[in-house]
Amino acid sequence: MKQYVVEKPGIRKSVEEELKRKKVCAPVKQENSANFSAIHSFEEIVWGPPQTVIPPKKYFLPTSENILSFRKRDGGFEVEALNAAEEIVLFGVHPCDLNAIYLTDRIFAEKNQDENYLAKREKAVLIGVDCLTPCSPEAVCLRMDGLNPGDRFDLFLTDIGDVYFVEAASRKGEEFLRGEGRPASEIDHRKLSSVRKQRDELFDQEEKKLLPDYNDLPGLMKRNYVHAVWEEHGEKCYGCGSCNMVCPTCYCFDVEDYMRVDLENGFRKRFWDGCMLEDFAKVASGENFREERFDRLRHRTNRKLNYLFDKWGQSFCTGCGRCIKACLTHIVSPLEIANEIFQRQSV
Amino acid sequence: MKTLFTPEPAKIRKAVPQTEFETLFEMELSERSTLGHKPGQFVEVSVFGVGEAPISVSSAPAPSMPTFELCVRKVGNVTNALLSMKKGDHVGIRGPFGNGFDVNLFKGKDIIFVAGGIGLVPLRSFIREVLNHREDYNRVFILYGCKRPKDILFEDELMSWGSLEGIDLQTTVDIAGDDWKGNVGVITTLMPRLSLDPPKTEAVIVGPPVMYRFVISELKKRLVSEKNIWVSLERKMKCGVGKCGHCQMNGVYVCSDGPVFNYAALKEIPEAI
Repeated sequence: MKQYVVEKPGIRKSVEEELKRKKVCAPVKQENSANFSAIHSFEEIVWGPPQTVIPPKKYFLPTSENILSFRKRDGGFEVEALNAAEEIVLFGVHPCDLNAIYLTDRIFAEKNQDENYLAKREKAVLIGVDCLTPCSPEAVCLRMDGLNPGDRFDLFLTDIGDVYFVEAASRKGEEFLRGEGRPASEIDHRKLSSVRKQRDELFDQEEKKLLPDYNDLPGLMKRNYVHAVWEEHGEKCYGCGSCNMVCPTCYCFDVEDYMRVDLENGFRKRFWDGCMLEDFAKVASGENFREERFDRLRHRTNRKLNYLFDKWGQSFCTGCGRCIKACLTHIVSPLEIANEIFQRQSV
Repeated sequence: MKTLFTPEPAKIRKAVPQTEFETLFEMELSERSTLGHKPGQFVEVSVFGVGEAPISVSSAPAPSMPTFELCVRKVGNVTNALLSMKKGDHVGIRGPFGNGFDVNLFKGKDIIFVAGGIGLVPLRSFIREVLNHREDYNRVFILYGCKRPKDILFEDELMSWGSLEGIDLQTTVDIAGDDWKGNVGVITTLMPRLSLDPPKTEAVIVGPPVMYRFVISELKKRLVSEKNIWVSLERKMKCGVGKCGHCQMNGVYVCSDGPVFNYAALKEIPEAI
């Protein structure tokens, strides 16, 4: 990984150069919050809080996407696979979301590779921005190993005063810079360390604590698969699926066919689905394999803290806090569930 | 361009109604010389404009034939649409998917097939494979249970299996009129009729979720080891390839880790049955 120091106008220049050539998407203000959207000028970018309501996963797994088109022909059907991927620059992605994108990349790239996701991912340039203050009281990124993105980006900017400390993890990231900046010096590195140290101390003071050991989260979930907390929280759950929609690592999808009014041409679409919704595991005969809301809450929490953690060695909750903000009954926080179980565990 | 989600064309060569709700289809692939499936695997069948549904393959593996059979019960949108289709109509096929049965583990053994209702559909693939290589396997028991006599699938075929030497076929129904001469009662009532040699016996169970518990406890009572018990599970599936999340039970994907599971391993999956 290469490290540079870039003057702030230099970054502005790079963004403006990209805007001439490509679609650039970044958090922009929308009502009282922010949302990732295509920008037309550098000024539109929201750098810090508020956090976007919907995570940037929508660029790789769109809320709704045509994956096939078909049309009647010669008594049969002509079928065409669709994969609309465009070159984009995703600017201003926060560490929790960079980690989440890394994790969903693993899912879609393993075994049966999902070209629809991967093609979009490949065409995107990820420019991350370090968070120096917690974005909301709900954020628990430091606790859930989401605050440090390692090299999970093309370019990563940390504001170290008058300049950005810039880490470039790929050729795509280097290209974005267009030669702006200079290699980071020993002094710049020391400045970065001190900014990060202050950042970590601030996050440590402000963020809610995780009581169990992070690495024992899968174990804690396994030992407490049967626990009163599931029923207690499940009873309050509306089953609305909001937590799924706003989660940067929720990637489950449904697939449906749509026929045009000519009844000759149609599309197959995939769109976001959520394991908290009642019909998620219900088969055509009516059998529902996760009928109770507490079953579904337990499933979602276990996916984040246990099943996928076990498989990929990292929590699939990156602590972004979006589900906590979206949940109408304040029951869904994986960290708080883990804390409650930890405090009340019988084993 | 092809993706994970691109079905390939197939044509319905035959559509033979089995009961009021089930039809046996023979499908023919036009771009491949064989489906290349194992018993217990499934395909995703597309009825364009309606959707896609996972369906178990019901015919034995046929390495050099582009045709295969699917027995479909009309129960949802896609299957209702399928049952209104006829010879010559076109569908889309993806797959085969899933692990299927590893037939080598069953060679030289006695096998009990326990099928409840439509559970006979995937088991028929395995049973036919066994009959095609009869000398590789020892005794075969087939237990088949349905709600009513009119729900019985593959009736003629069952009769022919039952007449073969070394095959013990037992059927039962839950409810029957006077014209039914066979057994009435749940499928476990057939179990005492079998003379088992437990260490040499492998049991394969496919049926509705409620059936598994009863059959497995009965088999355990008869001293069949847990590691010799196999089940195939049903779940909602959209992608068939371990991505969409619908078929997940705890950390396991039924579509790609299953649908065939060994009971000794399945015991560790609380959401399984």
